[in-house]
Amino acid sequence: MKKSVNTFCLVSVFTLQILIGYSFVNYQPTVSYKCMIQMTNYTGEKAYVVVSLIDPDNNYVKTLYVQGDDEEWFPDLKDWWIFSNGSNEDIDGIAGATIGNGERNIISLGLDASQIDSGYKLRFESAVENQEYYPIDAEVPLNSETIKNKVEGKGYIRFIRMVPSK
Amino acid sequence: MTLSIWRYSHLILAFASSIFLLLASVTGVILSIEPISNKLQPYRISNAEGLSLAETISAIDAQYEEVLSISQDKNGFVSATVIIDNQNESFYVNPETGEKLGDIIEKAPIYQFSTNLHRSLFLKTPGRLFIGLTSFLLFLIAISGIVLIAKRQGGITKFFSKIVRENYAQYNHVVYSRFVLIPIVIIAISGVYLSLLRFQIIEENQITHEIDFDNLQEDPTIDYTQFELFKNTPLSELREFEFPFSEFVEDYYLVRLKNKELLINQYTGDVISEKQYPFVTIISEWATVLHTGEGSILWSIVLGIGSMAIPFLMITGFIIFFKRPKTKIKNPYSKDKANFVILVGSESGTTLQYAEVLHNYLLSINEKSYLAVLDQYTTYKNMKHLVVMTATYGQGEAPSNAKKFKNLIHKHQQKAHFLYSVVGFGSTSYPNFCQFAYETNELLETLPQAKASFNEIFTVNDQSFESFNRWASLWGEKTNLELRLKKPTLYNTKKHTSSFVVLDKTEKASMVDSTFLLTLKNTNGAIADSGDLLSIVPSTEERERLYSIGKMERNVYTISVKRHDKGVCSTYLQGLEIGTNLTASIIENKDFHFPAKSKQTILIATGTGIGPFLGMIKNNVAKKGIHLYWGGRTEESFKLYKPIISSALENGSLTSFKPAYSRTQIEKTYVQNLIKKDAVYIAESLRKKGCVMICGSITMQKEVLKELQEICAKYLNKDLSFYQNRNQIKMDCY
Repeated sequence: MKKSVNTFCLVSVFTLQILIGYSFVNYQPTVSYKCMIQMTNYTGEKAYVVVSLIDPDNNYVKTLYVQGDDEEWFPDLKDWWIFSNGSNEDIDGIAGATIGNGERNIISLGLDASQIDSGYKLRFESAVENQEYYPIDAEVPLNSETIKNKVEGKGYIRFIRMVPSK
Repeated sequence: MTLSIWRYSHLILAFASSIFLLLASVTGVILSIEPISNKLQPYRISNAEGLSLAETISAIDAQYEEVLSISQDKNGFVSATVIIDNQNESFYVNPETGEKLGDIIEKAPIYQFSTNLHRSLFLKTPGRLFIGLTSFLLFLIAISGIVLIAKRQGGITKFFSKIVRENYAQYNHVVYSRFVLIPIVIIAISGVYLSLLRFQIIEENQITHEIDFDNLQEDPTIDYTQFELFKNTPLSELREFEFPFSEFVEDYYLVRLKNKELLINQYTGDVISEKQYPFVTIISEWATVLHTGEGSILWSIVLGIGSMAIPFLMITGFIIFFKRPKTKIKNPYSKDKANFVILVGSESGTTLQYAEVLHNYLLSINEKSYLAVLDQYTTYKNMKHLVVMTATYGQGEAPSNAKKFKNLIHKHQQKAHFLYSVVGFGSTSYPNFCQFAYETNELLETLPQAKASFNEIFTVNDQSFESFNRWASLWGEKTNLELRLKKPTLYNTKKHTSSFVVLDKTEKASMVDSTFLLTLKNTNGAIADSGDLLSIVPSTEERERLYSIGKMERNVYTISVKRHDKGVCSTYLQGLEIGTNLTASIIENKDFHFPAKSKQTILIATGTGIGPFLGMIKNNVAKKGIHLYWGGRTEESFKLYKPIISSALENGSLTSFKPAYSRTQIEKTYVQNLIKKDAVYIAESLRKKGCVMICGSITMQKEVLKELQEICAKYLNKDLSFYQNRNQIKMDCY
C-alpha cells in the first residue's frame, strides 16, 4: 500500500516536471515582424525559399518559414535540409506556396525577444528546380537598429524588407 | 500495300506514345475529379459577386489583427492571409462578414500523387519532357484520327453520318472517337502549351511597374474605403489584393484583377501604375483552365470522359491493327514481262489477300503474274489478262489505294489487246454493294483494247472464299488454266474435324424439289449451335461445301440439302445410308446464332434456308415469340418440314408460320410479299429490339432487304443500317 502511494507521488512529480519543461521549450514568440521577400526577374520555375534562425555561432536554430509546397524538391536546399531533416523538424505549419520570378511574398515571422540584438540573424536560402542553389541568398541581422533596412539578395531574391507587425 | 500516310502516322504515333499516354490518361481521369470535389465545397457565398472591393476588404480587415492579402480562386472562394498571434494563417472567409469559413483545401495525397505522375512520371525534368512530347503526339494522333474519320465517312461534312460496322473494335473505335476527339485535341493542345511554357519556349513575362517614387503624394489622405477603384470594382473581378507592406508612402496597395494589375497609393488612392496582363499570361490562364477543368464541373466531366476514352481507343485501335492482315507484294516478274496483271483496290487488305492467293498460284504454275494496287495502274506491254479485284469504300467510293485509277486508266493507254475480268468484294448487307467494282467495269468497257472475259461482273459477299473460288474456276476455264486456290490461312476459322454418323435421311422417294433432310449425330463431342456451318469435303479433290446447321438435340444436327444433278457434294450426301460414318468439321458462325436476348424473332427463309431455323425453333424451350416466313415452290415443298413445324406450332415453340408459294397456279407469292403485308408488325418488332434473321438465296435476301429498308424508312424513320449495326438483322445467304 505504501509502495503504491510512493509510485503515485513519483508519477505526479514527473508529470509536473514534463509540463513545466514543455512550456519552457515551447515558448511563444514575443516579437513579430512582417517580412517581404521580393524575387528578381530570373528565368525558370518558382523558387523554393527557406527562412531560418541562425545563432551567433552560425548554426541553424530553427526553421521559421518554408516557401515551397512540394517536398520532392526540399533536398535541393542542401544545408537546410541536413539540419531540418536531420533534426526531424515539423514544418507542416510553416510552409507556404512558392512564388515565381518578379513576385513578392509577405509573411509574418515570430521571434523570441531574447534573440534580438544578441547576434542572431535570419538566413534566406533559395533554390530553383534544376538551377543553382544559394546557401545564403540573403541574411538579415536581428539588430533593432538596422532591421528596417532593405537587404539585397544574391540569388533569386532581389531584396528583403522587414517591419515590426502592428 | 500502300497504307495511307494518315493511317500510318496515326499508328506509329500511337505505338510510340502508348505507355506514357496510358499513364497520363489514367491519372487524368483521377485528376478530373479534383476540381469537381473542390467546386462542391461550401465556401462560395452566393450574391457576393455584387459586393464592391471596398466592402469586402473592410469587412475582412475589421475581423483580424492584420490582414496581409485577400485572394479569390477559380471556384469563387475568397481566402485571406492574416497574422494571428504572430503567425501567418490562410483560410477561406465570407466576403460579406469576413468570418472564417474553413481551412484552405489541402490537396489529397491521391491527387498529389496523380499530379506528379501526370506531369513528370516522378522523373522530374526528363519526365516532364516525355509527357510534353506525349501530349504533342496525342495532338497529332487526334488530328490524323480526325482526317481518317473524315476520309472514311466521305468528307468532313459527313463526319457524324452513320458508320459501316465491320467488327466491334472498328465500329466502336470510330463511334466513340467522333465524340471525344474534340476534347482530346483541346487536352493535347493545352498540355503542349503548358509544357512549352514550362520549358520556357513560350516566355511569360512578368509585369514590371515603373514607379516615380519622388512624386508620391501623402495628401489628401482619404480612407481606403472611399478610393474610387475600390468602390467601383466588383468582387467578381478580383484575383488578389495585397495590403501595403508598411506605412511608408513607397508601399502601396497591390490589386490584381482579371485582366490587369494596379498599384494604388495607400494615402491618396491614386493609381500609381496600371498594367494589362500580357497576351501570353491570358492564354496561359486559359490553357490551365482548359487542361485542368479548374472551376467548372461540366468541363471537368468532359475532360474526365476524354481521358477515360483514351485507353479505350488505344485498346480498340491496337485490336484493329493486329486484326488487319499484313501482306507484302512480291513480284518476280516486272510489269512489262507479265502476261497476267492483277490489280487490287482494297481498304483493309482482305481483298489483297485473295489476290495474293491467285497471284501466288499463277506463279507456282509458272505463269508470269504481276500484282499491284489500282493506283499504280500504268502500261503493261505483255499483258494478256487483266484481273481487277476491288472492294468498295464508304458510300460506294473507291478504296484509298484506288482513288487515282479513274484518271490513270485514260492516261496510260495499253497498246495490245487484253481480256479483263472484275471481281467485286463487299457485303450485301450494305447499300452500294460493290459499287466501285461496277464503276471499274464500266470504265474498262470504254477502252477499245479491252475485252471482257465474262458478260457479267462477279461479286464476293462477306469475304466468301467459296464464291471467289467459283469465279476462279470459271476464269480458269476461259484462260485454259486449272486453278486450285487454297483459302488463305488467316481466314481459316478454327475447324474441329469430327466424326458423324447418319441418323436419318429423307428417302429418295419422298424428296420434293430434289430437297432432302439429313440428320447427323456427332460421335466425338464437337459443339455446334443452330446457325453454325458444317463443312463437308466430299473427296480430296474437291473444295469444301458449307451447310447451315439446325441443332435438333444434343449432338444431333440436321441440314437441309438440295440435290443438284451435277452437284458432287449433294449427290454424295444423298447417297449416304443410315448408319454410315462421315467426317466433317464445324465452323462457328456466331453472327447467325439465335439472339439470346431479344424477346421476339422473325425468321425469314426460302427453300433449304429453313435448315438452321428448324433447330432454333426446336430449341425454343422458353417459348419466346418466333414468327417464321418461308418461301417454297409449291405446297408440296412444305411436306418435308411439316412434321417439325406442326408440332412446334402445337407446343408453342413457334408462334406463327406463314408460307409463300411461288409456283402455285392460283396466286404466286414470295416471302417479300408476306413481309410487305406484315410491315407494321415487323416495324413494331424492330422497335422493340426484336431480331430479324434471313437465310436463303442472295436474290431473296436482296428483295427482303429492300422491303425491310422501306419498312424502316416508313414506320421507324431510321435507316436499315441502324438496326444492322445493333445486330438486329442477321443474315446467312448464299
